[in-house]
Amino acid sequence: MGTVSPAAEEIRAPSPAALLRRRIFGHYGLVFGITVLFIIILIALFAPLLAGHDPYSQDLLARMKPPFWMNGSDPDHILGTDHLGRDYLARLLYGARISLAIGFIAALISGLIGTAMGVAAGYFGGRVDLVVTFLINVRLAMPVVLVALAVVAILGGSLHVVVTVLGLLLWDRFAVVMRSSVLQVRDLEYVNAAKAIGCSTRRIILSEIMPNIVNNLIVVATLEMAHAILLEAALSFLGLGVQPPTPSWGLMISEGKQMMLFEPWLIAIPGIALFILVLAINLLGDGLRDVTAPENRG
Amino acid sequence: MLVFALKRLGLVVLVTLTVSLLSFSLLFMSGDPASAIAGENASASDIEAIRTLYGFDRPFLVQYGDWLSGALRGDFGQSYYFKLPVSTLIADRLSVTMLLGVCGISFALLTAVPLGVVAAMRPNSFIDRAALFLSVMGQAMPSFWFGLVLIVIFSIQLNWLPPSGSSGWQNFIMPTVVLGYYAMPAIMRLTRAGMLEVLGADYIRTARAKGASEMRVMFKHALRNAIVPVVSLAAVQMGFMLGGSIVVESIFALHGAGYLAWESIARNDLPTVQALILIFSCFYIIFTFLSDLANAWLDPRIRVG
Amino acid sequence: MAVMMTGGEAMADKASDTLKAAFTKELESVDSYFNSAREGVILQRTIWDGLIYLNQATGKYEGNLATSWKWVDDTTLEFKLREGVTFHNGEEFDADDVVFTVNFVADPANGVVTQRNVNWMKEATKVDKYTVRIVTKGPFPAALEYLAGPVSIYPNEYYAEVGPKGMGLKPVGTGPYQVESVEPGKHFVLKKFDGYHDGPKGKATIGTVDIRTIPDVNTQLAELFSGGLDFIWGVPSDQAEKLAATGRFNVVNESTMRVGYLELDAAGRSGTDNPVTKLAVRQAINHAIDRQAIVDNLLKGKSKIVNAACFSSQFGCEQDVAAYDYDPEKAKALLAEAGYPDGFAIDLYAYRDRAYAEAMLAYLAEVGITANLKYLQYSALRDLRRNGETSMSFQSWGSYSVNDVSAITSEFFKHGAEDFARDDEVKAWLDTADTSIDPAVREENYSKALRKIADQAYWVPLFSYNSNYVFSKELEYTPTSDEVVRFFHARWN
Repeated sequence: MGTVSPAAEEIRAPSPAALLRRRIFGHYGLVFGITVLFIIILIALFAPLLAGHDPYSQDLLARMKPPFWMNGSDPDHILGTDHLGRDYLARLLYGARISLAIGFIAALISGLIGTAMGVAAGYFGGRVDLVVTFLINVRLAMPVVLVALAVVAILGGSLHVVVTVLGLLLWDRFAVVMRSSVLQVRDLEYVNAAKAIGCSTRRIILSEIMPNIVNNLIVVATLEMAHAILLEAALSFLGLGVQPPTPSWGLMISEGKQMMLFEPWLIAIPGIALFILVLAINLLGDGLRDVTAPENRG
Repeated sequence: MLVFALKRLGLVVLVTLTVSLLSFSLLFMSGDPASAIAGENASASDIEAIRTLYGFDRPFLVQYGDWLSGALRGDFGQSYYFKLPVSTLIADRLSVTMLLGVCGISFALLTAVPLGVVAAMRPNSFIDRAALFLSVMGQAMPSFWFGLVLIVIFSIQLNWLPPSGSSGWQNFIMPTVVLGYYAMPAIMRLTRAGMLEVLGADYIRTARAKGASEMRVMFKHALRNAIVPVVSLAAVQMGFMLGGSIVVESIFALHGAGYLAWESIARNDLPTVQALILIFSCFYIIFTFLSDLANAWLDPRIRVG
Repeated sequence: MAVMMTGGEAMADKASDTLKAAFTKELESVDSYFNSAREGVILQRTIWDGLIYLNQATGKYEGNLATSWKWVDDTTLEFKLREGVTFHNGEEFDADDVVFTVNFVADPANGVVTQRNVNWMKEATKVDKYTVRIVTKGPFPAALEYLAGPVSIYPNEYYAEVGPKGMGLKPVGTGPYQVESVEPGKHFVLKKFDGYHDGPKGKATIGTVDIRTIPDVNTQLAELFSGGLDFIWGVPSDQAEKLAATGRFNVVNESTMRVGYLELDAAGRSGTDNPVTKLAVRQAINHAIDRQAIVDNLLKGKSKIVNAACFSSQFGCEQDVAAYDYDPEKAKALLAEAGYPDGFAIDLYAYRDRAYAEAMLAYLAEVGITANLKYLQYSALRDLRRNGETSMSFQSWGSYSVNDVSAITSEFFKHGAEDFARDDEVKAWLDTADTSIDPAVREENYSKALRKIADQAYWVPLFSYNSNYVFSKELEYTPTSDEVVRFFHARWN
């Protein structure tokens, strides 16, 4: 870029949309992230069609059948069966639903809380800002895993409880980022113009400020979604997450762990699935940040 | 500087108080603490007696005040399970967690900072991409899974390292790697970004122009400036790590404070859980406070703002 | 730091004469009257002695700290004590120790956690230096069973001085091993007691027993492979099979007295509209679960299906009771008859063996019962049950290894907080049996109670448990069905 003279750039400048498209497709991480995430979402949506087995139906006579690449595998169970003879592929595919749902809903709850707090703090400043900053400090000081474990243990583990607890715990980054984003735009000309013509605060925030910070919001949302998915897996792994027989990937790892010394594939398969999902979401988030604000890469 | 420090200290005290209130209220979310203490064979009158003995019949705020004043003196009450003072229990196990935290953060810094520097020296080179790849992997790898994989490889297949316990330095290698890898990506990225920014600055060009060697430029001039935010991030990460060691300690059966927390949660031993939440929070608060001070010391602009 | 100072671990092997074992649970106190864990029982039998000893091979009582005993009347037992026994701290053993221990633990004010083990005793009185009498609160036929089991004798002077807390940190007994160090919950080191008396337990042969707490069976296995442990037990059947196949370890399976069952709220404590208050529904649940398949494929080993609400070897455990075979069609028909042709939804509470509970969920689903698993910690679940809030829960009971039906059936069917049947007739039979010292009367009444329990399907009796003991090829050990690991019987080969 440095070698191109400003004049030449002006002449050959493509439309902004084309530029954005080129940036997106030139970013391998982003392309990979989007593709993989899209595939996983499709898998989650069409799990019943793809699985070929009921993820809950057990067969105690066909326990821990190995996956296709190992001796003694059963062509009917491509990824083998678990400790109760349930089809591992079916559980893996249905598990994608659980992970995505948890990540999405937790990010949604925390996004609503965090954005509301961050925008209020950034826009109004003063006391509101002080209170919000204080709350962020309090939240950051609480050890997330420990608090989540304690609360889930008290309330009893279930999908609803886990999602709610994670949603109520993970809003801090939303608040921090939204607050500083709003601070950057709130004194820009068009915002002042809107104020001058007497727009309501609500209107200014929703139609003048939000569109300008939504990029950052999406980036944080992807990262928090990944965070929530990993935390759910960790909670389920420690036995305080969602309840069996729900096919959660964390639970699958936790159950497979019993036999990990002899049948390592039992933890390898859900572990790799979890890794790929989180990787895809993270790459998507990183990529979006690079593409929408290239100067921030790093 | 003093004013800044005092203001910060005020915030620290307020945050600590709020956290303590939140962790204390956990006890009351969980139903009847008296029945939990009374145990298996208690009758209704036993439970009533315990309620009065422990003072659970008093108003919430009075009990909180009591607990807090005890906590300030280092007295967190008695563990329901071990019937020993919580402070004794925690003091006994905190050293393992602290050691693990120090090892973890050192590992993270020792790998992330050189990688970040090298990556910044050659942006978009193979090594830059490799470093980025490593950090992306680190962010996506579930740490409990990574720990299990290490155990399978290094304890079972190769038999190089003991899978559990805390009796020798060998026991700390795998937990250190797992915990450190968790903190590494953020530090690496920050180092890289900081270095890129600093390398574009005038004084680096001047240093290069004067004919200073590349190594000297990198480590003497550039890194010294880029490292400031990294140090404060490391302090924050250290606080996170102590709270996050719960997973690592449970996998490697390290009898540290995180493991105690997990077990205490499973056993409904709330005084221990409360104390641990407060203590981990305090670590985080202290580390961020110190890093704020260090930053203000190094960068006068912060003090004014 | 302190951690690093302890240095490397001694190699666990014959050469260093150190047996390295693992506990699964963090033991709250070593004082056997102040913990209710299996780990506590193991240490209790190792560090302390009881007045009498139950020979596991012959099933006969032998004198341990007592040399002989007799019932003076229905409620008084008189013991002649063994002379020349000393405690680990050098204190001499005599009648004062027995009197002090019994009177201390029998007083509810002292807060012994395992009350059922001691609350049958009223007091002990000294006759002379080596003669002592124990008075029971009423006729208590199982007294010898308890005196050979959980009731062990503590040194009076030392216990008076340090109390349960001190005893937990620095235990002193007369047993074959003395305690070298205790890190509460984490690590216990035992040394052979050279001055051990000539009792029926016999002297220990292995010099040091080093026990660490490793909660995860998997980590225990990893340690076993890498030589960090040489004796573990309670290994799940799948892993035990694989371990046996490696040929590197001795793998021995032994049955235990622990029985698994579903507790059904027949009395309607959790709500009178609850489906399991109906007999047909309870019978349907009994028919719905393929217990044999669970035993064959999940528990394996010496586990067996259980039909009566007790373990077969226990005195009074009538085997001729109604048995419900696996018959999902019949289960569906019974459900329809009870007015649930489309099944119903219910919460199944459980605190252990998640896999077994999951397997039962699937069987229940097949007959139309949607059971939601609520997996809780034991103490949390116990609170719910005591408050009568559970309509169906998966329980297990090890009877504290007491070989008598009073330790299980009477525990749960005498209108206590954990009785969900509340059957007056059953209670009356059990009361008669529990307080009679005539074995025939006892057997007859236990039989009546157990038959009615089975007819009414108050429980779904499931299976007996087994335990796999895995140890180094250098070790020799024969497990017993009471689930107590006796380190003093282990030897290097």
